[in-house]
Amino acid sequence: MNKTLLGYVPKESPINAIHPFVKLFFLLIVSLFPLFIQAPEWNGILFVAILLLMAYSRINMGIMRIYVPVAISMGTIILISYTILGGIHPDYAILFNVLGRPIYWERVRDALVVYIRILPMIATMVFFLSTSRERDVIVAMRSIKAPFVVTYVFAMALRSAGMVLEDFHIVRQAEQARGFDTTGKSLVYKIRKYVMYMIPLFALSLRRSEEFTNALIARGYAFTGEAAKVKRADYVLTHYQFRNLDKLLTTAILLLFVTLLVFRYILGFMGLESSLIHLLYQ
Amino acid sequence: MAIIQFKDFSWTYLNQPKPAINKINLTIQEGQFIGIIGPNGAGKTTLAYSINGLIPGQYHGVKEGEVVVFDKEVEDYPRGDLQQKIGMVFSDPEAQFTAMTVEDELVFGMENIGLSIPEIRERLEWVLELTDLGPLLNKPPYELSGGQKQRVALGAVLAMTPEVMVLDEPTSMLDPISRTRVFKVLEKTKQEKNNTVIVIEHSLEKLVPMADRLIMLYDGQVLLDDEPRAFFNNMPLLMEKGIQSPGVIAFFHQLIQGGYEHGLLPLTVDEAAERLDLIFKRALETVKS
Repeated sequence: MNKTLLGYVPKESPINAIHPFVKLFFLLIVSLFPLFIQAPEWNGILFVAILLLMAYSRINMGIMRIYVPVAISMGTIILISYTILGGIHPDYAILFNVLGRPIYWERVRDALVVYIRILPMIATMVFFLSTSRERDVIVAMRSIKAPFVVTYVFAMALRSAGMVLEDFHIVRQAEQARGFDTTGKSLVYKIRKYVMYMIPLFALSLRRSEEFTNALIARGYAFTGEAAKVKRADYVLTHYQFRNLDKLLTTAILLLFVTLLVFRYILGFMGLESSLIHLLYQ
Repeated sequence: MAIIQFKDFSWTYLNQPKPAINKINLTIQEGQFIGIIGPNGAGKTTLAYSINGLIPGQYHGVKEGEVVVFDKEVEDYPRGDLQQKIGMVFSDPEAQFTAMTVEDELVFGMENIGLSIPEIRERLEWVLELTDLGPLLNKPPYELSGGQKQRVALGAVLAMTPEVMVLDEPTSMLDPISRTRVFKVLEKTKQEKNNTVIVIEHSLEKLVPMADRLIMLYDGQVLLDDEPRAFFNNMPLLMEKGIQSPGVIAFFHQLIQGGYEHGLLPLTVDEAAERLDLIFKRALETVKS
């Protein structure tokens, strides 16, 4: 099994043969698709297509279960904010009343459109995180000749997130060992006492950054000055080759995007007016 | 040949009432394996940081005197140059990682100093053989055990082939097996490259047999500086300053004190076993006669 940012992918998975750049390109471009599509059925198809890609890539689909509560709460929040808290619109068609407030068909439709737009975006992100390692992100960025300092700072951000969580865990255990535990206490109490975790965490972060700077200097790295001008060989990239399949996939993603724009803005497809939900109501 | 010289060197951290290092004069010869020992707060880390330019480069404070490395004052080196000559390994292996996989970590320093891909590949193979990290190459360094992490940190510095290696308590967070493995790597390096190695350590069992010279720091000053056997002849002073001698040495010191043995102190268990064998044989002969 290959460890990824969000879990594991079997070594035999076809996704392992794909260049990291293609995965990043897929994330960046395909997650834009729903922004140009209004018709929920098209976004639904995109969502299903991404799920099928995940299954084909042999990602453990059980991982999606953890997103079900998030998806339900997100859907509920969107629906409430569009309907009950959506305001009064005399021009809209009233479906029914809830607690004396009118629920409009247009607002329900808009909530559905927004919600089904978000789902494929999340699925694209889950697909990327489930098939990529931290190193893949860096390799993808370096492949497009992003400045080393940018990729490096990005890598550090990825790493420090894990380190802060680990430090937080240590601080919490240390405080629990000394009798400070917020388990079972009220939310207000927890928020008020949160400073007990934050102060040592902040102090630890300062120490970590000092140690980190020392380590960078000890390895001969410099952001500025003559040492920063040294021509770096990118050894990591020698392990990756941008094959014909990668070129084909990158072109396909790009073509798909162009086709989508043509269909949407020139031929007028995938808009709300031509959507099934719109036709259904009429 | 003297490669590192401290000349009346003092360093006082900002807002500290007394110096961490106080008028030290030290000369370190090429190819020596040096152990620096002393209680916490003695100035060991400050001394180590002063060799590779982290002090005064990264810390605020007042410097007096000179630290000369390869005939040049540390402060006169352009940024990055000194680090090619002086490799530094810190006590917390976790805090030294700058990359996402063991392989990236090992090559990071080599990329920084501008080595070409074939050179990097060649040195990487050498370091992997030396540190036995081959099977871990694709793992994230923070997922390794403490000993493996420290071997990665050590390997990353060795790959830059510095002329001097400074190790600041490299085994303080490790179990005895990992500690042995780290020292084995150092032993192999010494044999293969004849590098100058400066190790700051509290645990002396592994350090003493390898060291050519031991230096004891106390309160920012050099209290003892000698080759290991002569160093441990000052046992009362070491005990007074809280230095725990290796068990073998402490035991033979007791024997010498009790008049059961005389001569030089053994530094290793093997040497001690030989000496004990002789003592028992002598005792048996005495009983027989």
